[in-house]
Amino acid sequence: MVTFTLAGVLLPGVFITASAGAAETDAADSTHFAAQIAPFLNNHCVACHSGDEPEGGIRFDKYRDSANVQTDYELWEKAARLIREHQMPPADEEQPTTDEIIAITAAINTELKTFDCSTASHPGRVTLRRLNKAEYNNTIRDLVGLDLKLADDFPADDVGSGFDNIGDVLSIPPVLLEKYLAAAESVAERIFGDKDAKKRVLVHEAANDEQRVEVARRHVREFAARAFRRPITGDEEQRLFAIMSFAWEQDSSEEEIFQTVITAILSNPHFLFRVERDPTADDEDGIRNLDGFELASRLSYFLWSSMPDEQLFELARSGELTKPDVLVAQAKRMLADPKSRALVDDFAGQWLQLRDVSRLQPDRDKFPAFDDELRTAMRRETELFFENMIRENRNVLEFLNADFTFVNERLAKHYGIDGITGAEFQRVSLAAGRRGVLTHAGILMLTSNPTRTSPVKRGKWILDNILAEPPPPPPANVPELDEDGETLGSLREQMEQHRENPACAVCHTKMDAIGFGLENFDAIGAWRDRDGRFEINAGGELPGGHKFNGAGDLMQILAEEKKTEFSRCLTSKMLTYALGRGLSSYDRCAVNEIVAALEQGEYRFGNLVAAIVTSDPFTQREVRPPE
Amino acid sequence: MTWNQAFVSRRDALRGLGIALTLPWLESLIPTVARASSAIAAPPRRMAFIFVPNGVHLPNWTPASEGFGFQLPPILEPLANVQEELLVLSGLTHDKGRANGDGPGDHARSASVFLTGAQPRKTDGSNIRSGISVDQAAAQRIGSLTKFPSLELGCEPGRSAGGCDSGYSCAYSSNISWAGESSPLGKETNPRAVFERLFSVSGGQTSDKHAARRQALKKSVLDFISEDARRLQGKLAASDNRKLDEYLTGVREVERRIELAERESSGIKAVDYDVPAGKPREYGDHIRLLCDMMVLAFQTDSTRVASFMFADAGSNRSYRQIDVPDGHHDLSHHRSDPKKLEKISKINRFHVTQFAYLLEKMKAVPEGDGSLLDNCMVCYGSGISDGNRHNNEDLPILLAGRGGGTIDPGRHIRYQHEIPLCNLFMSMLDRVGAPVDFIGDSTGRLSDLQL
Repeated sequence: MVTFTLAGVLLPGVFITASAGAAETDAADSTHFAAQIAPFLNNHCVACHSGDEPEGGIRFDKYRDSANVQTDYELWEKAARLIREHQMPPADEEQPTTDEIIAITAAINTELKTFDCSTASHPGRVTLRRLNKAEYNNTIRDLVGLDLKLADDFPADDVGSGFDNIGDVLSIPPVLLEKYLAAAESVAERIFGDKDAKKRVLVHEAANDEQRVEVARRHVREFAARAFRRPITGDEEQRLFAIMSFAWEQDSSEEEIFQTVITAILSNPHFLFRVERDPTADDEDGIRNLDGFELASRLSYFLWSSMPDEQLFELARSGELTKPDVLVAQAKRMLADPKSRALVDDFAGQWLQLRDVSRLQPDRDKFPAFDDELRTAMRRETELFFENMIRENRNVLEFLNADFTFVNERLAKHYGIDGITGAEFQRVSLAAGRRGVLTHAGILMLTSNPTRTSPVKRGKWILDNILAEPPPPPPANVPELDEDGETLGSLREQMEQHRENPACAVCHTKMDAIGFGLENFDAIGAWRDRDGRFEINAGGELPGGHKFNGAGDLMQILAEEKKTEFSRCLTSKMLTYALGRGLSSYDRCAVNEIVAALEQGEYRFGNLVAAIVTSDPFTQREVRPPE
Repeated sequence: MTWNQAFVSRRDALRGLGIALTLPWLESLIPTVARASSAIAAPPRRMAFIFVPNGVHLPNWTPASEGFGFQLPPILEPLANVQEELLVLSGLTHDKGRANGDGPGDHARSASVFLTGAQPRKTDGSNIRSGISVDQAAAQRIGSLTKFPSLELGCEPGRSAGGCDSGYSCAYSSNISWAGESSPLGKETNPRAVFERLFSVSGGQTSDKHAARRQALKKSVLDFISEDARRLQGKLAASDNRKLDEYLTGVREVERRIELAERESSGIKAVDYDVPAGKPREYGDHIRLLCDMMVLAFQTDSTRVASFMFADAGSNRSYRQIDVPDGHHDLSHHRSDPKKLEKISKINRFHVTQFAYLLEKMKAVPEGDGSLLDNCMVCYGSGISDGNRHNNEDLPILLAGRGGGTIDPGRHIRYQHEIPLCNLFMSMLDRVGAPVDFIGDSTGRLSDLQL
């Protein structure tokens, strides 16, 4: 059943209460600060950070029984990060033990969770964002009906916060502008070489010669409005006509006149950038609600990596799109549209790093069976899984524990599944050892070294990308683990020796446990019972006493015990992608509300999208968010 | 003129095989502006920078003796044919590649600091900031003398997903050229695209009535879009205006090139080179083809400034072609394991072999009384020294070429502790006619490049 709930969206207050309730279990009561934080400050911080001339202007002696997170949130966030990264206290001071570091950062996080979101709203501000390569290609396709893929020759888009659609990181080097111009000319030319494209742009027929000019103007007005994704102003219209008149004066043919003005439109900043109006002095708190056209573009670039369609434009014109229930209904419609495949290519392709599967080079000698057909099948498997998640509006926890997947003959053989023939993919049930996307071959391969598995990489990847609990970097001068060779015993034995060092143990216990749970999969994701001379032992225990034996158990534990962490991680990643900016400290409130709506909405994928598109950061713009 | 006809259609021109003869730069390829600016037509000086990731195995890199006549260590052996054109510079430092309070992320810093000498702001997706890079400092001063102010080349298109390094945006690890503190310059990875860009004709056939009209229309388009960008600038905040500044810079570059082409009597750059088919599959072929593009660009004086990332910072590419199937970055954390160090040395040597190819190619191009290489300064190196320690002092740096007779190569020079690499950049900027007061953390110049 496909359900999209609105409750979390329309009644955010309900969820603030709900999340506050959830936080109570580990909440900071009045003694928490004095008991858990103050002693650490006294031992390690106040010697320098106190008095009239504190180091860095930071005073810790003023905090006695409260962290005052309501006003000093960012300070504590930074303090926790610096302590976690072994940057504070400085190296020439006495260092806290790793246990102390874990304890103090956890205690600070507990304090941070008490922040009351009802006091201040910060929807944030997205830096003027140019279309990235995928968006450019799709936009041209939907604008003129020609799938030209001209952006394939543009320089690569830089990645920030894990995605290649981050406004602040996307720059325009001169070579890109050249390519924009050449591409605009090329599109303008091709429109007239293709009957369907021409009909799409030159919609109207002039009944007689007197109407010809008026019809030409109408074509340009309508084309420019679609290209700029908003109605054009009278002034813009006049200036576009001026270009046409100029071309006419140069004895250009009708075709050349059109090509010139189309080139001017397609190389225009209003086409290449997604322009949103900043709040003015009249807007309360420096925050404004985006208008229908701005929302239409936010929706379409989020879900389709492309421009809005006619229905979105229509709802923008009528003003309906600013209503939350209309936004949610449109999101639902758009997810059902084949164009939402872009969400798989661009969001899943980056969140799960599927794009990297295409460039990995596993060692040929160790893995002679690996070939490009298998590589392609690996990537397709996870894409199909994600597509199915969208189409069937499934429970997002199935990313962790689904007992089914999609394989063709080549991948089925790789997995040891019998009876699948042909290149077509089909849905199959999985044997007990394999569960969810973390056991898909592509992801197992991209978290391995070319020659062998790396439990540490796998564990760290899952903490980074699935649970949003990135482990702190190793302290300086701690030897790295040698995963090479068999001379020192099995990989597992070596790592257990490594963990005898208490400085390593705290983080590696969790990282390695997760990674070793996946040791039954080799570096290209095939099942194995032995690694060289050694029998695989994929058993372990997660902090908190959850014992498991193998990936099947492990994934079930993650889906049950870590569902909040996973929901928060997925929400943060998708919100980052939807907004085109890295999340800041103030975005925690929006993330909390979306996670609450997701939990309330049975973890359905569609409810996650609905909560994002109706969130404040998605529907509003702030003149200047806090630093 | 027959060349005009041959280039009437860019498509026609590029469809062919190598197109006809190479004109020496002196006779017709040097743009009018450049010719006018130098009373005596001395060959122009060029600068290039080549980045390799993950440091090198220094014991196999650093020559045992200083001065002339040093013996080439194993990694540098492929440079035997050009040793006399080479300075090995030991001991230089990039202090701003160190954490300096910013925690982990040495690889990202190693690329962003390499040509900027600036401490990058630690951020993943907002307010990225580094500093202007040495190549761009030059491009902004001498770039208007050539068709293109600079070229940015690379073999890897940058990460397409995920994180790059410990909270640093991938912009830091996949770019070394920065036009301004927030404007990394993406690189061209496809040799064919580089070739087409360099040698396509953007107008200039004023004898052709239709071409003249097309030029006029093109200019009207450029006027229109820059006017729109300026109007938009009036309405937006500073961070947005930076993006529009980049956009306007790009428009101005195109305008400048059209004007340049119009002023040129011939407007044509013909080169004797087959149009590259695209990106070669084999990594060595890819590097060498891009090296060819750099040589062609310098040879025809299409630009005087280039940067080239053989691979991105922290690259984990495997090198099967030399029997090193392991990932480069994985290996670089070698912990002094001799097996790993040997593999790292092999990778370092592979990169140096490609560098030798570039230098030999430059040396084979006659120019004035000598060779193209005589008029170049090609700086090669890494932003970290040892891949395991991630240290930023004692960087592996080579400088090839004679800078138009201003450098005496063939030596190994060891600098005192903590001399900034940026001091080398100062000396290079002086020599291309683009002196600045400082770049990055420079404290002066290197006085001993010339004896």
